[in-house]
Amino acid sequence: MLRTFSLCLAILMPVTATAQSEADITAAIVDDHILPRYAALVVETMALAEVADSSCQPGDPALQAAFHDAFDAWIAVSHITFGPAETDGRYFALSFWPDTRSMTGRSLSTLIADADPIVSTAEAYATVSVAARGLYALEFLLFDPEVSTAGEDAYRCALVQAITADIAATAAQIEADWTGTFAALMRGAGSNDRFQSPDEALRVLFGSLTTGLEFTADLRLGRPLGTFDAPRAARAEARRSGRSLRHVALSLQSLADLADRLATGDPGLRQALADRFDIALDAAARLDDPIFAGVDDPQGRLRVEALQQRVQEVRDLVSSELGPKLGVAAGFNSLDGD
Amino acid sequence: MLKRRSVLVGLGAAALSPSLSWADAQSPSFLSAARAVDGSYHLCGLSDGGAVLFSIPLPDRGHAAAAHPVRPEAVAFARRPGRFALIVDCATGQEAHRLTPPPDRHFYGHGVFSADGSMLFTTENDLDTLDGRIGLWDAANGYARIGDMPSGGVGPHDIERLPGTDTLVIANGGIATHPESGRTPLNLATMRPNLAYLGPDGEMLEVVELDTALRFNSIRHLDVRPDGLVAAGMQWNGSEAEHPPLILTHRMGETAQLLEAPAQSQRKMIGYVGSITFQSGGAQVAVTSPRGGLMQVFDAETGAFLSDIALEDACGISTLSSGQSLITSGVGSIWGYDAGALTQLGQTSWAWDNHLIAI
Repeated sequence: MLRTFSLCLAILMPVTATAQSEADITAAIVDDHILPRYAALVVETMALAEVADSSCQPGDPALQAAFHDAFDAWIAVSHITFGPAETDGRYFALSFWPDTRSMTGRSLSTLIADADPIVSTAEAYATVSVAARGLYALEFLLFDPEVSTAGEDAYRCALVQAITADIAATAAQIEADWTGTFAALMRGAGSNDRFQSPDEALRVLFGSLTTGLEFTADLRLGRPLGTFDAPRAARAEARRSGRSLRHVALSLQSLADLADRLATGDPGLRQALADRFDIALDAAARLDDPIFAGVDDPQGRLRVEALQQRVQEVRDLVSSELGPKLGVAAGFNSLDGD
Repeated sequence: MLKRRSVLVGLGAAALSPSLSWADAQSPSFLSAARAVDGSYHLCGLSDGGAVLFSIPLPDRGHAAAAHPVRPEAVAFARRPGRFALIVDCATGQEAHRLTPPPDRHFYGHGVFSADGSMLFTTENDLDTLDGRIGLWDAANGYARIGDMPSGGVGPHDIERLPGTDTLVIANGGIATHPESGRTPLNLATMRPNLAYLGPDGEMLEVVELDTALRFNSIRHLDVRPDGLVAAGMQWNGSEAEHPPLILTHRMGETAQLLEAPAQSQRKMIGYVGSITFQSGGAQVAVTSPRGGLMQVFDAETGAFLSDIALEDACGISTLSSGQSLITSGVGSIWGYDAGALTQLGQTSWAWDNHLIAI
C-alpha cells in the first residue's frame, strides 16, 4: 500500500513541479515583472524632476538624458495599464498618445501664450488637460521646434519643472498603490473581491500582453505606415526626440518577458514565443530608421511593414496558443466583437 | 426591430406598389452574416424557425443588415472598417447591387431606411477628422450617393428610426478608430459617447450623454419599441474591476434609465453587450454577451432584472412579431426564447456573426 502510494507520488512529482499553479504564475509576474518596472519608473522620473529643477532649458544634455531614461522606464511598463495606473486617469496623465487632434501642442501653446500661473505647483498642474501632461507633453517642450521656443524662457522653464514634478508624482502614486495594496490583491486572487479567482488575475495579465502587442503593431507601427499612397511619417510616436523605433523594441522586450512568464509550465510554447519575439526584436534591431521616416519611399516602407508583420506573427501565436492555455474565450464573437 | 411585414399588411402598402412586395417574396424572417466552415463570409436568410433559406457570398466579414420597408430587399453591411454594402433581393436571395462609400469614408456596419424607403442612412467614419457621419443614399434611384451629415459624435455604430417618423436615433460609440491602425481605439483618454436624435435633414434634436463616470461606456447597439422607447446596449472600455450598467433605455425628452443585473450576473457580462432586443411584445429587454457567454432579460418598464441564461458565444438576438426571440451563436447554435423558456432550434455549421436582423 505504502509502496503504491510512493510510486504514485514519484510519477506525479515531476508534473506538479513544472506545472506551477496559476497563483504562482501571477505572483511571479507581480514580483519579478511589474513591481521592478514600476520601481524603476519611480527612480527615473524622480531623477528627471530633480534634473529639471536645476536644468530646465530644452537643449540641456543632462535634462535630455534624464528625459530619455524616464521615457525608457515608462515604455517598459506602459503595458500594465490596469489597477493603480487607471485610478484617476493616471495612465493618460503620463501617456497621452496617440493625439489624433493635435491637442498636446495646442494645449501647451495656449498655456505658454497665456503664461498660465497653473505651473506654480505640481499639484495645480495635475488639474490641467491630460494632453498637456506627461512624457509626450514634455517631449514637445524639449524637442518641438515651435513649442520649445515659444514665449518666455522663464515660463517654459517653470512648465518643464511642473510637468516633470507631476510625472514623478503620478509614477509614485501608481507604485505606492501597487506595493501598498494591489500587489497583494493579485497574489491573493481568489480570496478577495477584486480578483474572484486565480484565473481572473491571469486573464488581466494576458490582456496586458495582447493589448500591448496591439498597441505596438497597430499604433506604433500602423500610424506612421498609413497607406501606400498616403504614408504618415509625421504620426510616428515620439519622433521629435527620435524615439519611435526605440519604443517598439523596448515594448517588445517587456512583452516577451511577460509572455514567457505566462507560458510557465509549457516549455514548448515558451520556446515558440521566445523564437517569435526574437525574430521581431531582430527585425527592429536591423531597421536603421529610428523615426520611420522611410515609410515615404517604397523600399523603406517595406522594411517597416516587415517589422509590423513580425509583431503580427507574435500576436497570432499569443492568441492561438497562449490564450486557450489560459482559458481565455476565443469564440467567433467573444474574441472579436464589435 | 419592427416587424415590417406585419406593418405592411396593416398599411396595405403592397397594393400601393406595382412591383414585388415583401408579401410576394418567399422571404426570410431574419438575416445574419456568418462565416462558413471553409472560412468564407456570407449573408444568410433564415426562416422564423431558424432554417437557412439562402446564403450569399460576401467579399469579407459582414456585420448587420437593414430591411427595406416596402420592397423585398435588404442591405447587408461590411464589418467596420469595411467599404462594401450589398443590396440583396430577398425574393431571389441574390445580390442586386453593391454600395461603396466615398474614398474618405468607411462604413461602421449598420444602417436604416427612411419610413417610405426612399432613403438609406448609413453610419460612417470621416477618415480625415475621425468625426462620425451619416451617409445618405437615394434608395428610390439606384442607391445613388446623395451626401452625408454629422452623426453628432465620434464612432457612430448602430442607427435606428423612431417608428412612424423619420427621426433617426444614433449610437455614437465615442471611440475613434482609423483603418490604418486597425480596430485599436485612438481616443480612450477623451472618449465621450452619446445617443443622438437627428431629423432626416440632419437637424440635431436631442443628445443624451451619461454621467462622466460612465464615459468609457461605448453606446453601440439599439432597438426601438413601436411607442418610441429606445434601448441601447453598451460596451465598457474602463477598468475591468468595474461592472457598470450596460443597458440604457430612453424616450425623447426624458431622462435615460440604466438597467443593471445583480452583481454576480452583471460581472459575468465581462463589460460587454453584443446585441439588444425588445421581446415579449416590448415588455422585456434582452441582451447577449458573447464574452460572458450569457443572455440577460430585464423588465422593460421597471428595469428590473428577470433572469440570465448561459449560452456559449451567443451574440445575435432578434424578436418575431409573435414575441418569440431567436438567438444565434458563433458556434452555430440557434435558440428560440419565449416566455422564459429556451429551445434549441438548430445546430448549424455556420459561425453566426454579431447580429441577427428581423425583417
